[in-house]
Amino acid sequence: MTGETSKAQDIFQDTVREAAFLAAKGEPPADRHWFFREARWRCLDVVAHGVQPERGINEACEISPQAPEQIQQLEPEQLAIWISAAPEPQRSILALYYLDEFNYREIMSMLGLKLHDLSRAIESGRREFQAWLNATVPVAAEK
Amino acid sequence: MKYLSRRLRTLAECAPIANVKAPDRRMRTALSRAKRTDDFAAQQSFDRALAKLVQATPVSREIQEWFANEKMAEGAKRSWKKTAFHPAILAIGIALAVIAVVAGIQFGEQMNAFPGTATAKKLLNVAATTRPSDLEAVEAEAGTLSDLFFMKYRLEHYDVPRGFSRQQTIGVRKFDDDDAGQVAQIGLAEKRMQLFLFPAPRDSKTGKPEEFEGWRYIQQEGWTGAVQVHNGILFMAAVRGTKKDLAPYLAKQ
Repeated sequence: MTGETSKAQDIFQDTVREAAFLAAKGEPPADRHWFFREARWRCLDVVAHGVQPERGINEACEISPQAPEQIQQLEPEQLAIWISAAPEPQRSILALYYLDEFNYREIMSMLGLKLHDLSRAIESGRREFQAWLNATVPVAAEK
Repeated sequence: MKYLSRRLRTLAECAPIANVKAPDRRMRTALSRAKRTDDFAAQQSFDRALAKLVQATPVSREIQEWFANEKMAEGAKRSWKKTAFHPAILAIGIALAVIAVVAGIQFGEQMNAFPGTATAKKLLNVAATTRPSDLEAVEAEAGTLSDLFFMKYRLEHYDVPRGFSRQQTIGVRKFDDDDAGQVAQIGLAEKRMQLFLFPAPRDSKTGKPEEFEGWRYIQQEGWTGAVQVHNGILFMAAVRGTKKDLAPYLAKQ
């Protein structure tokens, strides 16, 4: 979400601290979704005060059968940076979806989105990531 | 996936990455259809590779230390007391209780309903508004008034039951009511009780008076009436008070 480990770490610690504070007041978070919701707002706040990615039209292309091999050659940080540069709410959607912790209903509930918006953001995210992948790991793509 | 309907395609785009059970039937349908297409397999491979990369994201030692005390961040389970006193639950509970009470009262009223209930209630209102001066002064035993009603007003079977027949009257009157027909009203000295005699409603098919067994009670605005039917005539004893005030007289039957 932030594209930076240190910022993410601070946000994580602030979120857990907030949960502990609420628990001490006798109002602990009702469910685990609270942590992700809270962390997301903190991420958005931090990102809004930081350097903004350039806005442009991202190229998109069909998912390649070689995509899994291309992805294998990536570092997790590269994916994190790519997702953090995506516009909202696509950034939050991709972050939560590829965390592979929540089903589509939970993501819709956490982000306050409709199914159509969620589906479109994931679908365009795949195609844009594939285009970026082709540019970043061209050797595998050419196979 | 191009051959799927728009709705199913929308769902298939959000398909679970891991091989877990779909959260609902709509998603299960979308998955079973999408699995027949090649590009869905490519999508799943793509998503799994990305999810695997996300799982490989290194976690710093500081964060790992936080997770050593993972229970701290566990969602709190609400106690049943806290759940019960939640405003929404409380409001629903109160609403259900009110509905249950109203339904109970209506059910009770239906159980105690008898032919002529509406007329009897109307006459309870008459009892509440009648002053002794409205009645023609007659001092006698209530049981002797049957002859008076027959001789003077041609009212047959307007008999006062045995439990009330020895009561001293202070006055009587006869009046016509749109619903009840010819009503005989007797004022008693004791407890300012009032007795009413009026025709029982008739069955619309057979034309016979509708009858019922024993005493039935009605209550309205502090007044209680005990009603009985005999020979097609309804008798009602009305008193300002409760059933207990009438019980001794009814026991004499």
